[in-house]
Amino acid sequence: MNRHGVALLPSIVALSFGLAAAAVADDSAFTSGTSLAKVGGPEIYSRICQGCHMPDGGGAVGAGHYPKLAGDKALVSWQYVALTVLNGKNGMPPFGLPEDQVMETRAVHLSDAQIADVVNYVRSHFGNRYKDKASAEQVAALPHPGTAPATP
Amino acid sequence: MGNESASSPLSRRELLRMIGVTAGSAALYQAMDSLGVAAESPYKGPIDLQGTPKGASVLILGAGVAGMTAALELRDAGYKVQVLEYNARAGGRNWSLRGGDTYTELGGATQTCEFDKGLYINPGPWRIPYHHQGILSYARRLGVPLEPFFQVNYNAYLHSSTGFGGKPQRYREIKADYQGHVAELLAKATRQNALDAAVTKEDQEKLLESLREWGVLDKNYAYVSSNDASERRGFEKNPGGGLSARPIPSRPTALSDILDSKLWMGIPTGDTFDMQTALFQPVGGMGRIGEAFGRELKSVIRYNSKVTRIHQDDHAVTVNYEDTGAPGTTFTAQADWCLCTIPLPILAQIPMNVGTALSAAIAAVPYASAIKVGLQFKRRFWEEDEQIYGGITYTDLPITNIGYPNTGFFSSGKGVLLGAYIWGLNAMEFTSMTPAERVAKVVEYGSRIHPQYTKEFDNGIAVAWHRSPFTMGCYGMWSTATRAKHYDDLCKIDGRIALAGEHASFIGGWQEGAVTSSLDAIGRLHQLAVAKGETA
Repeated sequence: MNRHGVALLPSIVALSFGLAAAAVADDSAFTSGTSLAKVGGPEIYSRICQGCHMPDGGGAVGAGHYPKLAGDKALVSWQYVALTVLNGKNGMPPFGLPEDQVMETRAVHLSDAQIADVVNYVRSHFGNRYKDKASAEQVAALPHPGTAPATP
Repeated sequence: MGNESASSPLSRRELLRMIGVTAGSAALYQAMDSLGVAAESPYKGPIDLQGTPKGASVLILGAGVAGMTAALELRDAGYKVQVLEYNARAGGRNWSLRGGDTYTELGGATQTCEFDKGLYINPGPWRIPYHHQGILSYARRLGVPLEPFFQVNYNAYLHSSTGFGGKPQRYREIKADYQGHVAELLAKATRQNALDAAVTKEDQEKLLESLREWGVLDKNYAYVSSNDASERRGFEKNPGGGLSARPIPSRPTALSDILDSKLWMGIPTGDTFDMQTALFQPVGGMGRIGEAFGRELKSVIRYNSKVTRIHQDDHAVTVNYEDTGAPGTTFTAQADWCLCTIPLPILAQIPMNVGTALSAAIAAVPYASAIKVGLQFKRRFWEEDEQIYGGITYTDLPITNIGYPNTGFFSSGKGVLLGAYIWGLNAMEFTSMTPAERVAKVVEYGSRIHPQYTKEFDNGIAVAWHRSPFTMGCYGMWSTATRAKHYDDLCKIDGRIALAGEHASFIGGWQEGAVTSSLDAIGRLHQLAVAKGETA
């Protein structure tokens, strides 16, 4: 790792999130790193996902497009959805980076349980009616970004 | 982290931490780069492209700073150039919103800017450091006048929602007091021989002398209320003339209050390489640069053109595009070479026959979430009531900062502030709101720093970059790991196609990254074109 690499970052995260927590404790419109950990699927969607995928899951079209989640056949696979949330895709930030690696790219860390929760939410709303649910353990078993491959 | 702070002098790590918290991730990222390797622009004057093959052509995708830099230089070098641009205007992220402008974001919400004549907000870049000589040189070549941008204003605020009872503190006071207290402590440690192992006796004398000067300490090396200290932190009553002339010195704030509030984190915002004086802004808004480029290149830019396919073969690059006013109708453009500046989230979705390495690089870079909110007020109360002329107030509230206009000082009538400039999670949350909700929240938070907001607010406009139809994010956020794996692949020419833009630079999020990446790419394209031309 070079000398301005990720090793610098954990303490930055802790401090800035600590500050934000104090600042926004009285406003339910905003989470912070600390209180985000307590937020479940519906709120993760309404605070984060809908910024791009829109409140109705309808996506959007401009020079490119944000995929429409409502009626998206790819959602048949919870693994596909979970892997997309974990790793990001085409400019979408990864939400599965370890907490100590998010600051370098100002990404946001969601726990495996939260990712399972928001995946289940998306697959059971906007007209989607998939019955099978992902669990935190199942999400934990998927490849995560930012984790070093096992060394011999 | 408290342990580290207590046991070691200000380290690189701590400096970065402060910058990250106070100035946002872009500053942090740049600071990391600048502390590690100098992030100074490699711009070394106008590019010299000799020997252009007769009839050679380049198709440029995107009329932002990178695309138009290339178009200008390649045209001047004798290439036949054509530029396709999605928007109905030139500039891309180089953009100012002024009264009467409308902006429709992804999702369909349309805002009309209701600012008074002459007032504007820059949703994208808003400051140019003096060492960004590339973009500065194009401003000069295009006749765009520049004026100072104040990064640091000693009379603006540092604000903690909990420290000092939530009352904003003047930058001047926090800086002077932090410096004074630190100087006093260091002087004490020196005189108690705590530094004997680190500093020679002779140097200790010199150090004490410098600390007294640096921290404005008294003869006993104490930081106390005095006229001298007030020359740094300001007076209780300023010196004047006549019988009411005598100044009353102010009283320093306690070190513990500064530490508890963490306002010390806001002190070094002007110390990073990209934020050091002098900085500049175009007169009339950052968008003046894009507009000037657009006028210069009027005959070669086709607006409202949405690229749908990019295809290369041994002889040419063929691009399909739709007119955004007539979806479904496909047009075709063709050239010998293609310089593609389309932001990566969009480019990743466009069919393009390039190698797997480039494709992987294009898909690997997440784009930052960021928002800016412009607020018009009925009067310039920050100047009239608080004597704040330009610069930035930093806060730990979700709005992060308040940017005061660096122009039009002392003018009567309405004024426009940058009411918020937000990154990360809070930016995602702001993005998830409607534009009206974003503006309302920003006014609500700002009123905790400037109570005048409530009475004086007139109107506002909010740009959330992930809702931008032409970028789908603010800028490419490379991590050390993704840069190591994909950066070179992103920049290498693939057949007849080269990429350029801030995403193909080490000055991410800055216009200088767009300029220097563009010049680098067209220099390499030109070499290829000349080589091909000679063998043809």
